[in-house]
Amino acid sequence: MLSNEIVVCENLYRSFYSKEFGTKDVLRNINFRMSSEDFVVIIGPSGCGKSTLLNIIAGFDSPTAGRVMVRGRVVEEPGPEKAMVFQDYALLPWLNARENVEIGLRIQKVPRADRKARALRVLDLVGLSASAELPVYKMSGGMQQRVSIARALALEPVVLLMDEPFGAVDAFQRAIMQRELTRIWKATNASIIFVTHSLDEAIFLGNRVLAMAPGGIGITGELSIDLPRPRDPMSMDFAALKRKLFGMLTAHLDEPANTFLE
Amino acid sequence: MVDTTADEPRSTLAVSGHTETAPSGSSRLLDVLRATGIGLVVPSLFVLIWWLTVVAGVFPESVLPSPVTVVKSLWIWAFGNKEDHGLYAGTLSLAIMASGARVIVGYTIAAVLGIAIGVPTGASRVIGQLIDPFIQLMRPIPITAWVPLSLIFFGFDFKNAVFLVALGSFFPIVVNTIEGVRGVNRNLVKVGRMVGARKLKLLWFFILPASLPSIFVGLRLGIGLAWVLVIVAELLSVKNGIGYTLLDAYSFNRFDVVIAAMIMLGVMGFLSDRIILGIQKIFLRWHHEVSIHAE
Repeated sequence: MLSNEIVVCENLYRSFYSKEFGTKDVLRNINFRMSSEDFVVIIGPSGCGKSTLLNIIAGFDSPTAGRVMVRGRVVEEPGPEKAMVFQDYALLPWLNARENVEIGLRIQKVPRADRKARALRVLDLVGLSASAELPVYKMSGGMQQRVSIARALALEPVVLLMDEPFGAVDAFQRAIMQRELTRIWKATNASIIFVTHSLDEAIFLGNRVLAMAPGGIGITGELSIDLPRPRDPMSMDFAALKRKLFGMLTAHLDEPANTFLE
Repeated sequence: MVDTTADEPRSTLAVSGHTETAPSGSSRLLDVLRATGIGLVVPSLFVLIWWLTVVAGVFPESVLPSPVTVVKSLWIWAFGNKEDHGLYAGTLSLAIMASGARVIVGYTIAAVLGIAIGVPTGASRVIGQLIDPFIQLMRPIPITAWVPLSLIFFGFDFKNAVFLVALGSFFPIVVNTIEGVRGVNRNLVKVGRMVGARKLKLLWFFILPASLPSIFVGLRLGIGLAWVLVIVAELLSVKNGIGYTLLDAYSFNRFDVVIAAMIMLGVMGFLSDRIILGIQKIFLRWHHEVSIHAE
């Protein structure tokens, strides 16, 4: 195996059972490889299994068949090398920003001074050095999401998993956060898997975009994006990629894609 | 797939009467004074009607004493002495200590056991399956139905009262602890597991603090029941305390003392609830503020 392949999904299956629908495959034969310099965006409609896939990579869920390897080791349980950023931030509201970022280091028994220094360094990276001692419940959604990203970065993960992280902030904050994330990605060389259902977000952020379809159809296409950053969502190139990506997302439907795009 | 409901409970927690803009010092004082004034209207009317009923002679004075008589009896109960005032003089502090000790010991046992049993019951599926049905079967039995068994096992003394108090406040505390633990945001637990917290660390750093709002609901329900049950114990078996004084005064037709005892029970219940609220404020500052900030 190549040494820079940090995430490998092999023949992943995941089915769920429900009384109403019986056994349903959410993921069927998912294969993909990711190297350390990748910024992978997984895009698809609700229910296509993209969050399930992310949860399996994180170790929160187990595949029905197949396996996931992170840096050559089969994923069996969650751990700091696969840090997740949640849409609802999942911060500990009884702690301040710095203490939230430190929580993992505290569990790992990193000495107090070390963990404080590390926490302040990542808080600075996400632009929150002035608010380190602020209780998180007093922060706006955008600031809370920065804390959540800082907490994940403090774990020094192999891969950063982001599950629709900007879904709960308003459009302006969202645009700012996308730019910020691009900057953080460049500054840290972090490998990111980012789940979204926004075409703009996918093309703005990713250098690889995987299109997923629901009903166990799985990955219907992949788009490599090498537009210079920061990308201009108003440009012709951007629009062309968007059209192409939309085509991949709707290829399995009966109606051709362009009936959706006027 | 996307948990859009995660933020919803916050909005339902919105506490009325809090404003986002902080009023200046003087207008804040005026607000407090006005709120206190408004709050005193209904109690004052209640006492006035009581007094008028007595003045009008609806009931004989021996059955419904006037508010003034009750206050005098309360004063004598608190500060009088046997030589000058006879019965029910100067024994209030002893009664408070007797009842208070039963409540404190019983309630502390209930709080410790309720949380210690509730957290693992809510957190672990197997322990939940083991403990939960038992709790749900025992809970509907009125605590007063335990009195005969309690008397046989613990006799007519302190232990009997403590047992009833502990049993009564245990159930709301344990049930709310279980509910609180089960209701913890699942993503918070995921964060705990992600950073490497397992078992005790997961409980201590993530699940326990996140369930505190619900635990405190149980603690406040529990302290109310503790006072109910200490009175039950004192009416039926134990030979001192505020509840015993109440029963004793009733058998001597001293309704002034009966009402004085009722007032003291109200005061004690109110004060103990304030103490729990004070502790809650220290632990749940974040929760309180979250509820204010909810839109």
